[in-house]
Amino acid sequence: MTTLDRRRFGKLILGAGLAAPYGFSRTAVAQPKPGDELVVGIWGGAQERIVKQYVEKPLVEKFGCKVSYVLGGTPERRSRAYAERGRPSFDVLYLNIFESRQAVKDGVTQAPTDAVPQFANLFDVAKLGGYGVALNPCTIVYDKRKASKPITSWKDMWNPEWKGRIAWPSYPGAEGTAGLLMAAKIFGGSEKAIDVGFEKIKELKPFAAIQGSQDQLFQMFDQGVADLSIEFGSFTRKYAETRNPNIEIANPVEGQAVAMNVACITVGTKNQKLAEEWINLHLSEPCMLAYANEIYYSPTVKNLNIPDALKSKLVLGSDVDKLVDFDWDLVIKNQPAWTNRFNREIAG
Amino acid sequence: MSTSQSSLPAALAAGKTTSAPGDLRRLAGPLLALPVTAWLLLAFAAPFVTVLLLSLHEVSDPFGDLLQPPSLEQFRTLFQDTFYLRVVGETLALAAGVTLLSALLGYPLALWLARLPVRWRPLAFAVILIPLLTNVVVRSLGIVLLLAPDGLINQVLGLVGLPPFKGMLYTHGAVAIALAQVFMPFMVLALYDVLQGTSPRVHEAAQSLGASRMTRVLLVDVPLSLPGLRAGIVIVFLLASTAYVSATLLGGKKVFTVGMLVWQEALQNLNAPLASALALVMTATSTLFAVIVFLVVRRFMPWKAGRPAAAIALPRIVLRVLDVVGPILGKLLFCGALLLLLLPLALVCIQSFNDVPQATVAGFRGFTLKWYAAVLFGGAYWGSFVVSVQLAVVSAAVTIALAMPAAFALSRYRFPGLTGLSAFWMLPLSLPHVAIGVGMLRLLQAYTALPPFMGLVAVHVVLSLPFAISLLQASVEQLDKAQEEAAASLGANGLRRFLLVILPGLAPGLAATGIMSFLLSFGEVTVTSFLTTARMTTLPVRIYAESTFSLEPTVHAVSALLIVATVLILLLLNKLVRLDRLYAR
Repeated sequence: MTTLDRRRFGKLILGAGLAAPYGFSRTAVAQPKPGDELVVGIWGGAQERIVKQYVEKPLVEKFGCKVSYVLGGTPERRSRAYAERGRPSFDVLYLNIFESRQAVKDGVTQAPTDAVPQFANLFDVAKLGGYGVALNPCTIVYDKRKASKPITSWKDMWNPEWKGRIAWPSYPGAEGTAGLLMAAKIFGGSEKAIDVGFEKIKELKPFAAIQGSQDQLFQMFDQGVADLSIEFGSFTRKYAETRNPNIEIANPVEGQAVAMNVACITVGTKNQKLAEEWINLHLSEPCMLAYANEIYYSPTVKNLNIPDALKSKLVLGSDVDKLVDFDWDLVIKNQPAWTNRFNREIAG
Repeated sequence: MSTSQSSLPAALAAGKTTSAPGDLRRLAGPLLALPVTAWLLLAFAAPFVTVLLLSLHEVSDPFGDLLQPPSLEQFRTLFQDTFYLRVVGETLALAAGVTLLSALLGYPLALWLARLPVRWRPLAFAVILIPLLTNVVVRSLGIVLLLAPDGLINQVLGLVGLPPFKGMLYTHGAVAIALAQVFMPFMVLALYDVLQGTSPRVHEAAQSLGASRMTRVLLVDVPLSLPGLRAGIVIVFLLASTAYVSATLLGGKKVFTVGMLVWQEALQNLNAPLASALALVMTATSTLFAVIVFLVVRRFMPWKAGRPAAAIALPRIVLRVLDVVGPILGKLLFCGALLLLLLPLALVCIQSFNDVPQATVAGFRGFTLKWYAAVLFGGAYWGSFVVSVQLAVVSAAVTIALAMPAAFALSRYRFPGLTGLSAFWMLPLSLPHVAIGVGMLRLLQAYTALPPFMGLVAVHVVLSLPFAISLLQASVEQLDKAQEEAAASLGANGLRRFLLVILPGLAPGLAATGIMSFLLSFGEVTVTSFLTTARMTTLPVRIYAESTFSLEPTVHAVSALLIVATVLILLLLNKLVRLDRLYAR
């Protein structure tokens, strides 16, 4: 297939997706056979372990299929999926919130449907650009010994006591995006008026460092390089509990910035049914609870019985309603320009 | 070249044939250059041309055709923006600093290694290879612990009553130290072979003429080791100019390198054209540097072209000062180099037994064996380890088979186009690996038609070839041609001379090249992570995938096992192949 054909193919698929009633397109879905192979693109480490145990095992038991993993980071996975649009080597791939919505628009992955039974129980925020499988919002994390009072608002970062002690998160990336968008929002701007965000972040300079990942941030906390940053609250809580009890995860009044892992089915998959079953199992109670227990990722479905001991450590109920969401189409469209600006004005 | 005639048949033996009819003599050089050129044309030219075409796209369209009306828009953007120009300049300066640091630290190490009794060399080799055997996360943790506000250096400063120096981390200096740590082994390996090949009789001659040890190092060892130094400088400079992982981990975004920007544009912003243009600008400037180094160093080796070297006379006072300062400075540099090499080892030993959830945290919490259990019995790691070893062994073997004839062509023949060819052979080293990955992504369809293992071998060989050619070229230049002539006069044919004279003479160089090619393939992650398939996950890709979430201390157990395995393999290798060749003269 030439590149031109691929482009036309992508448009056709998109058009078909918009025009055809859902029930019509279902008839084409073949039933899984024993020996079929589902290829899943996901992060390594704890996440690979959890899905192997709580998704792969029951899926293989039910259908006699085989599951293979392509491990890596989101950027590599996304570039690969884009390069393979329409004839994917993945059936299911995991992306972040903004990448997943763009991927649906670009005809790389499918929009979610109720062919996945658990779709009905998803929070609204988890129904766009694929199936949200874990809420993992970003918030302020800090060393409470260095704070004159607990942090309750995003504006507290501008308190002079943090001057020179902040490890600002790198942009682009979930944490850096959250930091930039929240800085704009709380000072009267928005994703449409980002200037104020950049100007306010500049006021925080000099930074102790710019952090590029949660592992790097934990190292900075350990070594006394920095005392405050914006990070995923989930795994930072795990770090605080196991390694550094001085670290506090703030719950600002303005809400935490939404971030989410999203499972996406590729356009052109030959294992549609298996992929849907995979995602349904990922959204099932055992898998959701394993994520919550092991790495404090919050569930995206409503029909769960969560043990009381876990509840205080997750983002649930009213906190989910309070999550700050953004116009991700606009965010991703502006990403190259904002990256340029971040490199020049904030980092360096 | 005056000496090429006498060694021609033997060199031919290294290539294709054992006899040398008149016509073939002229063809010998091109024939020797053919295999490596063919391999690179098949496996490297395609992604390279793709990158070239992408850089000429006016705007980025991930789904657009590769062939588009050429536009210089991307280059215009780069050259009109002082930010990009500044980053290119800073990257070049960083690479130059790393090269200088590697040479200063690597030289005393290489001298030490070359003078060490042979039975200790496997262990010494293992020490030098430690940074290449440990994951980048372990290495940068070591540098962080060294430079942190309450780190090792500041604690030592505190002991002698000096105030702590807080601004050491997340600077160009921190990145330079981190890069020198991991690239220094390449410099040492390049120097080792030429240094240990210097006959003790040369040293005796210098000594009998009254040269002190320092004078001998400066006026005998350094000039004679120039081919190795040149290889080391070019390799380290090109490696450092494309680095981005260490720069990200230790530069804290206060340090930008071109490699980081290429990664960011290509992967995060899906802007392959700008990334390609940026990569090409970097490639052009660093290749220019390599060519300049090549030409400058050649001027300092007039004897290679059959011209006598001018006598060097240093004023007596300078020699006096050198005799006093030199040994102290040499010892300081040696200790600094050793500290940098051993730091990861110490950390690996502690961290692999540490009961903490993340690999990056320091401080001992409790003893556990669970990380070793996860590596050895967890299944996933072991499978990836086996894939990586198979891949590295095959890649190293193919690399040597292709690089050896090329090295003979470079050092013993002159034919039209050779300089151009040798620049082409070096290209995979100067093109940032991310860019090769971006090029491969566009060709994924053609690439995935190959069996996955073969595809990965093809790419890994491409990435190791420049190193192998540089190292082996230095080794071939060191061969004592008088021995080949003596063998020929005693009636040995080309094949016998190749097997009994040339190959033993090259053994240390081949061992160094083999080890390096193996480790380069074994550790490759940048390009491999684009090409990995569900059934072919290499160990570095698995570790990288884990680090994109949070790296667990299993990675330290992997490093510890690798170091132990390397020591054992080197001990075994030393039994089979001598790592020196003094016996050859």
